[in-house]
Amino acid sequence: MSTKAEFFARIRDQMRKTRGLFAASVATRPEHPALQADTIRRELAERWPETLEKFRREFERVGGVFYRVASVDDVPSVVGGIAREREARELVSWHSGVLGADLSHALEAAGLDVHEMPAAEAEDAASRERLRAIAARADLGLTGVDLAVAETGTLILMSGVGRPRSTSLLPPYHVAVFDRTALVESLHQVGVFLEAWHGDGAPPGTGAVINFITGPSRTADIELTLTRGVHGPREVHAIFVEGGIRG
Amino acid sequence: MRDVFLQEALTIATTKFIDLRREAFEDFPEGEALRDQARAIKEATLQRLDHHLETLVANIERLGGHVHYAATSEEARTIVVDIARRTGARMAVKSKSMATEEIHLNEALERAGVTPVETDLGEYIIQLAHERPSHIIAPAIHKTKGQVADLFSREFKRRVEADPEVLTKIARGELREKFLQADLGITGANFAVADTGTVVLVTNEGNGRMVTSLPRVHVAVMGVEKVVPSLTDLMVFLAILAKSATGQKLSVYTTLVRGPRRAGELEGPEEFHLVLLDNGRIAQLGGPLREALYCLRCGACLNVCPVYRQIGGHAYGYTYPGPIGILLTAMLEGSRSVKDLAHASSLCGACADACPVRIDIPRMLIELRREVREQQIAPWVERVAFKVLARVLMRPALYRLAAKAGRLLQRPFARDGAISRLPFCLGDWTSTRDLPAVASRTFQERWSARRDLPL
Repeated sequence: MSTKAEFFARIRDQMRKTRGLFAASVATRPEHPALQADTIRRELAERWPETLEKFRREFERVGGVFYRVASVDDVPSVVGGIAREREARELVSWHSGVLGADLSHALEAAGLDVHEMPAAEAEDAASRERLRAIAARADLGLTGVDLAVAETGTLILMSGVGRPRSTSLLPPYHVAVFDRTALVESLHQVGVFLEAWHGDGAPPGTGAVINFITGPSRTADIELTLTRGVHGPREVHAIFVEGGIRG
Repeated sequence: MRDVFLQEALTIATTKFIDLRREAFEDFPEGEALRDQARAIKEATLQRLDHHLETLVANIERLGGHVHYAATSEEARTIVVDIARRTGARMAVKSKSMATEEIHLNEALERAGVTPVETDLGEYIIQLAHERPSHIIAPAIHKTKGQVADLFSREFKRRVEADPEVLTKIARGELREKFLQADLGITGANFAVADTGTVVLVTNEGNGRMVTSLPRVHVAVMGVEKVVPSLTDLMVFLAILAKSATGQKLSVYTTLVRGPRRAGELEGPEEFHLVLLDNGRIAQLGGPLREALYCLRCGACLNVCPVYRQIGGHAYGYTYPGPIGILLTAMLEGSRSVKDLAHASSLCGACADACPVRIDIPRMLIELRREVREQQIAPWVERVAFKVLARVLMRPALYRLAAKAGRLLQRPFARDGAISRLPFCLGDWTSTRDLPAVASRTFQERWSARRDLPL
């Protein structure tokens, strides 16, 4: 087996043979990503309606279903409606502290069986297994959104404490709730936020994975026929809360 | 060439991909500048490859992951099989990865008593059929829905309808069980970000997410050239990758994975391993195929290649088909292995135009041809034949005479405008291909006749 030293020695031997094909440089990283991320948010506070409209267009283009509600109190009835139309009952949800609002009672009242994921570590493997099994049999997964990208109609979700990866993956229907604090215009701006999250600006309790979700799971592997819901959800719904989730 | 379905499927698929790609870039005026930037990032990264890889390794180890170094495909197989043995794995779920195809990992896992399960729908189909992928991003485009239905019927012992929707649903159910049971998740990597120790997976189906979330061990196998310095660099590539491959602005899922499960997380592996793969790549850092190390494996050059569109991926005979595949095969297996393939290109340049990082594929193909000739790898019959041809092509009178002679000589062999079997020592030429027959009237003859007509 090659050792690290041998491996890198071979690379350096080869590198000495050439100065490369042309003078080139990598992309310029933001110098103060956290500050720049704040600036992006501030600027968007004024022109968010255009950005939201662009997001809606792109999100629908990739097969997402978009809703706009005035207040976070309107969210449970929208979720209830989605469930009823699909004869679905079991809902698994990110922890209310992460979502920014406690919707469990209202969702129960809308006729759903709600399983809220815990905010603390499930210490032993057996209880993790049990919680995962809940996600695996649930019909709906309710999550928040860390960034909603207008350019591509993409939802970006960080994993972590109270925000399991499986909530947006295992159930056939994914419902995501967001407000204008999550909106960004472009993939370029996403880069700034990613740099900020990995610097000092990393939110506490974040996990090992960041997912970009652009529409429902799809394939065209059989005769190029577009089919949804291969492994991930076959429907993705995004609810925009005009008044902000945290009120 | 006789497989009518394959021909049609190839034409439909590649034409569709070409249109989708064109539309995606038409809507994206900044795309051209981003392609230049992406190309520059690739070159700049290679110029300091040791530094970026060292940074990547340090960050992954800091996150609690393990890094392994494989000089050859055999070493890579041994590393993965050892991890499987040590962790007591019985079943491995895999998300689509050209690198693990390249090292023929599945056979090695099977020999070690570990069942590998491909989870990309196309890969799953060809695994059940015991075949190899025919396109980098659409591995089963050569199969009809009827063939897939027959395959599923046999595999699951019940009659299955030949409807993509139904077939996909069945695969979802079957594979969902495997995801939840498997001990080992195996992936490739579209990128790895040195700065943060992030491995990036791009999929449409969501299998990449499953494989990196549910099994207790995750192994990613990655060619050394896939490293990018920062997340800012990564975003440049993400902005052009899916547009070039399928015409999507982004693929459905882009998954950024940093090491094993963190405290407080419900899912994620207990162990994370990255296998850095050389297998001929490192030797090209200072070699003639250096530029091929920019490749993102998007498949755009396959779709536009007139040769690939005619013959499909299997005819190339190696893991990587199409124009870039010839270069990658030469890189991995040595230039000897492509002495014929180096000529399986019309040098029309469509591949270089389509390539998101503008790899000059024709330039390297010409260099490969020169190398093959200098090594005198071609058999003497072929060398003599091409020398004679060169003389004929330089003398118009002789060329016209040769066309007439050819027309006479081909009579016993030509059928429907093609010669599928040549006699004597020329037979090798037609063992895997057809030779177009000399036309009943050559272009020159038609042209000179036409010149007499009033235009």
